[in-house]
Amino acid sequence: MTADLVPEFFTVSELTKILKDEIENSPNFTSIWVKGEIYNLTYHSSGHIYFTVKDEGALLSAVFFRYANKNMKFKLEEGMSVLLFGGLTVFEKRGSYQMNVHQARPDGAGELQKRIEQLKKRLEDEGIFDPSRKRPLPLLPKRIGVVTSPTGAAIKDIIKVALRRYPNIEIILAPAIVQGDGAAKTIAAAIVELNKPRWNIDVIIAGRGGGSFEDLMPFNEEIVVRAFYNSRVPIISAVGHQIDHPLSDDAADAAAPTPSAAAEIAVPLKSDLIDEIKYHLSRIENSLYQNLSDKKNIYKNLVSRKIFRNPMEIVNRRGMLLDEVENRLTAVMRSSISRKREKLLRIPDIERLEKGILTSKKHQFHMRLQAIEKMSPLNIMKRGYSIAEDSRGAVIKSVENTGAGDKIEIRLQDGRIRSTVESVIKGD
Amino acid sequence: MEKSKKAAPKTSFEDALTELEEIAMRLEDGDLGLDDSIKEFEKGIKLARICHDKLEEAERKIEILQKGDNSSNEVKNRRVAVKSDTGEIEDDEELQGSLI
Repeated sequence: MTADLVPEFFTVSELTKILKDEIENSPNFTSIWVKGEIYNLTYHSSGHIYFTVKDEGALLSAVFFRYANKNMKFKLEEGMSVLLFGGLTVFEKRGSYQMNVHQARPDGAGELQKRIEQLKKRLEDEGIFDPSRKRPLPLLPKRIGVVTSPTGAAIKDIIKVALRRYPNIEIILAPAIVQGDGAAKTIAAAIVELNKPRWNIDVIIAGRGGGSFEDLMPFNEEIVVRAFYNSRVPIISAVGHQIDHPLSDDAADAAAPTPSAAAEIAVPLKSDLIDEIKYHLSRIENSLYQNLSDKKNIYKNLVSRKIFRNPMEIVNRRGMLLDEVENRLTAVMRSSISRKREKLLRIPDIERLEKGILTSKKHQFHMRLQAIEKMSPLNIMKRGYSIAEDSRGAVIKSVENTGAGDKIEIRLQDGRIRSTVESVIKGD
Repeated sequence: MEKSKKAAPKTSFEDALTELEEIAMRLEDGDLGLDDSIKEFEKGIKLARICHDKLEEAERKIEILQKGDNSSNEVKNRRVAVKSDTGEIEDDEELQGSLI
């Protein structure tokens, strides 16, 4: 046996290293999209997600690190068809390769879901789903508007429930197509129509029975969601669903999981309302009668008192009181008088004292009189003045007041002079 | 009095019911004098009457809106009969799928 030439060889590590360099640096493998179904999905507590992607013929290990997956808007699920973006890496120690995922997207129906999520986020930012916008539904709607297919199960259910709860309710159906292309437009148009004041609608129910995810899609369309949002009339979203509710639910004033449930929310039970009115009415009645009988009792208690049974008692009692007061007054006065008398006896000089008071009063009077006398015309006349009076006794103050031939009297301090005016000279 | 008569038809069922309840509470408090009690009582009876009338205002009918015939955009309402046990619409004419 010839010594075989030792062939050129790689160590396992060398080979793996070459592969690793080749694969991890090749643009063919570093930024690629891979499509497949998720399998063996593990959400690790570290936040990393480990799974396998597969199709009919092959498997590919994948890791979605926390830094890359933390902003994901949907949740990966077993069996979900996805599009993954990322690069291949080689795991030397295990001689395996795997995909390092940077981004994941739902594929197909998943893509639709993602579109809804995006729309939802956009409308949310716009305030369309603001819960504070939701209005209370009217307690007693006279007329309800319904937006749905005229031939579907939804309208039947709504009519049945509404009439059962409120036999004389009015329903106006604005027909719409509720699935497939173009359905969204008809739903939005029907909502707009029912909002016209001419229809006089109190509350709108818009929806359809349950169906596949795609069937319910019209109620996730922007035009429909906006029609709900813009509805002047309070509106209920009534789309049959089990898990994922449509966006119309978020924009509506109220949402129900089925059209029947929506009718229950919208239409009150008439008998309940009648009971409520009756209840308040009986409260009012009872409390009025209670009030009346209370007042009657108070009156009865009053009139049954002794005083009303024997009115003369008041007079008698007052009489007695009067007597008592009189007695007491008399007694008081008597003691008062006797006390005063004792006082008088104790002060014998009282006469002189009173004389003194009198004297001073007399003096004051004299002084006052003197002052008055000084002002008297008589006093003035003592100094040689006189007063002329006309025949009627009026004092002549001016030459104007008299004329030649007038009879006048001149008063002096001790008598009068009767005279006739000879002439009047004005001025001095 | 005149004013309240005029306002009565505009009173909503909710408002009337709420006021009715308030009157019931005021009367139950028992603080009212006899005159006021009777006034409130009369008001309550009136409100109960309004509530009752409101309940009977609607006149059981089901209508369907349809586009006008001559391709105008006008929308018309048409009354239809329904089976109240099933809610099914009984109508001779073909039910149109939508308004547009």
